[in-house]
Amino acid sequence: MTISSTDGGAVPSRTAKSSLARQLLAKPAGSIFVVFALIQIACIVAGLLFPDDFRYLSPQNLTILMKAVPVLGCLALGAGILMIAGEFDLSIGSVYTLTAIVMAVQVGDGMSAFLAAPLAILIGVAIGMLNGVITLRFGLPSFIVTLGGLLFWRGAVLLYNGAVQVRFDPGPAFSSLFSGTFFGLNAAFIWIILLVVVFHLLLHNHWFGNHVFATGGNRAAATAIGINVKRIKIAAFAIAGGMAAFAGILATSRVGSVQPGQGTGLELQAIAACVIGGLSLNGGRGSVIGIFLGVLLIHTITNVLLLVRAPGFYLEMFIATLIVGAAILNQLIERKGSA
Amino acid sequence: MSAAPLLGLHDVSKRFGALTALKNLSFHVNEGEVVGLLGDNGAGKSTTVNLISGIHQPTSGHISVDGKQTLFTCRTDSADAGIETIYQNTALVDSLSITRNIFMGRERINGMGFLKQSEMREIAMEVLKSAVHISGIDSPDKLVGELSGGQKQAVAIARAVFFKRRVLLLDEPTSALSVRETEALLNQVLKLKAENVSSVLVTHNLYHAYQVCDRFVIMSHGTKVFDVAKADTTIGQLTEYVVLT
Repeated sequence: MTISSTDGGAVPSRTAKSSLARQLLAKPAGSIFVVFALIQIACIVAGLLFPDDFRYLSPQNLTILMKAVPVLGCLALGAGILMIAGEFDLSIGSVYTLTAIVMAVQVGDGMSAFLAAPLAILIGVAIGMLNGVITLRFGLPSFIVTLGGLLFWRGAVLLYNGAVQVRFDPGPAFSSLFSGTFFGLNAAFIWIILLVVVFHLLLHNHWFGNHVFATGGNRAAATAIGINVKRIKIAAFAIAGGMAAFAGILATSRVGSVQPGQGTGLELQAIAACVIGGLSLNGGRGSVIGIFLGVLLIHTITNVLLLVRAPGFYLEMFIATLIVGAAILNQLIERKGSA
Repeated sequence: MSAAPLLGLHDVSKRFGALTALKNLSFHVNEGEVVGLLGDNGAGKSTTVNLISGIHQPTSGHISVDGKQTLFTCRTDSADAGIETIYQNTALVDSLSITRNIFMGRERINGMGFLKQSEMREIAMEVLKSAVHISGIDSPDKLVGELSGGQKQAVAIARAVFFKRRVLLLDEPTSALSVRETEALLNQVLKLKAENVSSVLVTHNLYHAYQVCDRFVIMSHGTKVFDVAKADTTIGQLTEYVVLT
C-alpha cells in the first residue's frame, strides 16, 4: 500500500494517466468549467476581431451581463442547495414574484424598504419551510408538492394585488445598496459574488453542508449515523425560499417595478443552471462553483444569441439541448463514480 | 474480565403483529470476545441485530450494557453505548470522500461550525494506515463510491475503530466480499479483539465464523438452540445444529 505524499489536491486514480485535463473533467464542475472557458475564449476572440458587429466586450454589454446574472444566480443557489439535499422546489419563481410584490406594495403604503425587504425574505423562508413540512410529513415527492406551490402562489399574487404592475420606490439608500455601483461594479453583482462565497463556505466547509451532502447522497446512511435528515431538508427548503425572495429584491430594485408575471419559468432556468453546473438530479453531488458557472453559461449564451440578433426560440432550444446534454454527462460521471 | 458481560440480552422477545420473530432469546458478549451469531435464513438474526442497534425495541425482556439494564430507542442510543453496526450495505455516502464519511455526523468543527478539514484528513490518513489493512485505499480524499465492497466495509470499520466502539455488530459482512477481502475483514476482527474490542459476527457462513469466533450462538425459529465455546465443538456439530434444528 502506498500513501500519496502530496497534500490536498486531486488524487490520481490508479488507472488514469493523470493529465490535468482528465483530472479537471473528472470533477463534477470540471467539464462545465471547460465548456465555459472555451465559450468565453471564443466570445472574446470574436469580440476583438469584430468589435463593431459583435459587441461582446463593449462596456454596455458587460454591464447588462453583470445586472442579469445575480437574479438567476440567487434562485439557482437556493435551488441548488435543495437539490443537493435531494429535493426540488418548483415554486421559487412564484415565490420570487409574490415576495417582491408584497415588498413593493408595503413600501408603496409607507413601510421602510429596510423593513419590507426582510419581511419579503421571511415570507420566502416560511413558504419554503411549508413546502418542506408538507413534503416530509406526508412522504410526497417534493416535485409534486412544489408544483402545487408554483400554481398556488402564482394565484396568490393576483389575489393579493390583481394583475397590475407595482412601482417600487425605496429611496436612495436602499436603491444604491442593491442596484448602485461600487468600484465600477454593479451592486447586485457584488451581492451575488458575496453569496457565492458564503454558500461555498457553508456547503463545502461547514458541518451543515456536510450533512446536506450526506442527506442527499444516502438518506438511509445519514439517518443511521444520527443525522436529522428532516431538519436538514427543511432548512434547505427554507434557504431556497429565502433566496427566491432575495432574488426578487435584487430584480425589483434594478427595475423599479414588479410585474405579476415576471417569475414564470425562472424556477426551471434555476434548476437548469444547477444541472448544467453538474448537480445530480438524485441529490448528494454538486458544487457551488458549478451552480454559478451554470448560471453564467446560461446568461453568456443568452447574451451571444441576442448580440447576433437570433430569434428568441433559438435560445430556448439551445438551453434545452444544454440541459439534456449536461444531464447525460452527469449521469455518466455518476455511473463511473458508483461502479 | 469483569463479572457483568459487556452486552447482554435477557429473555428478549419481539413480535410484529401476529408474527413472533424472537422468543425468549438470551445471550451475552464479554469484553474482547468474538461471538458468532449463526442460523439459517429466517432464524431471527436480523431482528436481533436491529434490537441491539436500537432500530427495534423488544416486546418483552431487556438488553443490558455492563450489567445495567438499558433501552435503546434509536440508533444513536446504541452508538452512545459503544455499539457500531456494520451492515451489508454499509452506511456510507458514495458521493463523499473517505474522510467526510468517517466523520459524518461527528465532524470536527471550530467555534463557528466550520470543518477542521486538515485535522480530519490527517486523522483519516492515520486510521487508514494503522487500523485498516485493506489494500487499494491510498488516500482519504478518495470518494467512497470508487471503492470496492470490501474497501467500503474497511472504511466503516475504520470509523468504528476511531470512535472507540466497544462492540462491532457485523451483519452478514462477508456476503458481498471477494475471498481476499473476506480474509482481510476476518483478520481485522481478530486484530480488534486483541485491542479488546468485541464483535458479534452475524452470518450463515459457518466456515467464516469458525475461523474467528470464540463462541457460537445458534438460533432457530426466533430462539437460541445452542451456545457453545469454540473449544467444545467442531464445525460438524455446528452444521448439524444449524441444519437440523
